[in-house]
Amino acid sequence: MACMNEDGQWIVLMGLLVAVGLFFLALIINQSALVGQTTAEGVLEFPKNDIRDLRTAVFDYVDNYGALQTHGDLEGVKDDITMISLERKNAVVHFGNGTPQDVSGRQLSPVTIHYNNGVTEYDETVYY
Amino acid sequence: MVNDRGQLYTMEGVAAGIIMLLTAYIVISTTSIYTPGDTHIPDMQLEQLGSDVLAMMDTPDTYGTESALKRFVNTNDGTGFNSMFLGYCNMMTNGADDLHMSASVTYRDGDAIIEHQLVAPDGSWTGRESAVRVTRWVQLDRQPGRDPYGARAQAVLVEVLLWRA
Repeated sequence: MACMNEDGQWIVLMGLLVAVGLFFLALIINQSALVGQTTAEGVLEFPKNDIRDLRTAVFDYVDNYGALQTHGDLEGVKDDITMISLERKNAVVHFGNGTPQDVSGRQLSPVTIHYNNGVTEYDETVYY
Repeated sequence: MVNDRGQLYTMEGVAAGIIMLLTAYIVISTTSIYTPGDTHIPDMQLEQLGSDVLAMMDTPDTYGTESALKRFVNTNDGTGFNSMFLGYCNMMTNGADDLHMSASVTYRDGDAIIEHQLVAPDGSWTGRESAVRVTRWVQLDRQPGRDPYGARAQAVLVEVLLWRA
């Protein structure tokens, strides 16, 4: 700096600013490829469809309760769902239904559903 | 002897060093390439599509009738399952998508969990596809002489492997 020619400093300074700015723009473009990655991984990891599907299966089981009881298939279907869940989905599943209760003038039985695949745990008691 | 000359040169040197380090860092970090396959976004979309297709197949046409999915499993109709599933998930507003699938049904026989292949993978399957798995429970009513699941009322798990070729 000392004893140097000090002409044209603004031009050099602006050039430096533009160069640094271009680097940051490149960084932003590079990072934009990652938009949605964490979201997608979160969606894939959370077993939304598994839990929904399990609820439907349990409600089907409760719907068919009478018919299943007549032929003695209650425990069989219950074992199907818990054992296949453990084997194929690595999920511990437990469910059951209690005696029907009076809920706002309707007879509904409390259905408990438990689901745990090691990452996500889900418990529900629903009157169905 | 130490004197106080050259302070500006020292500061300039330190500033230049910092700028060079920063430049090297930014250049290296901007040249790493992240391919779309690493972001799992297509997997997420494919899995959602497959789940929706299975939900559509499991919805009966009218109340009280049997859904198509249940009928295919009950009658062990892999061809019908394959054509309906691929018809639904390859449907696009222009042309058709190129999705392929294989399917199996998992059922329980005593203490054994048995996997029965409903639809075999087609020729595009090499084993290296980034396939996603979608599943759906199907509850079968008591029906004598059903093959191979047996006559008792039971819950079976339909599993579909879905990939884009």
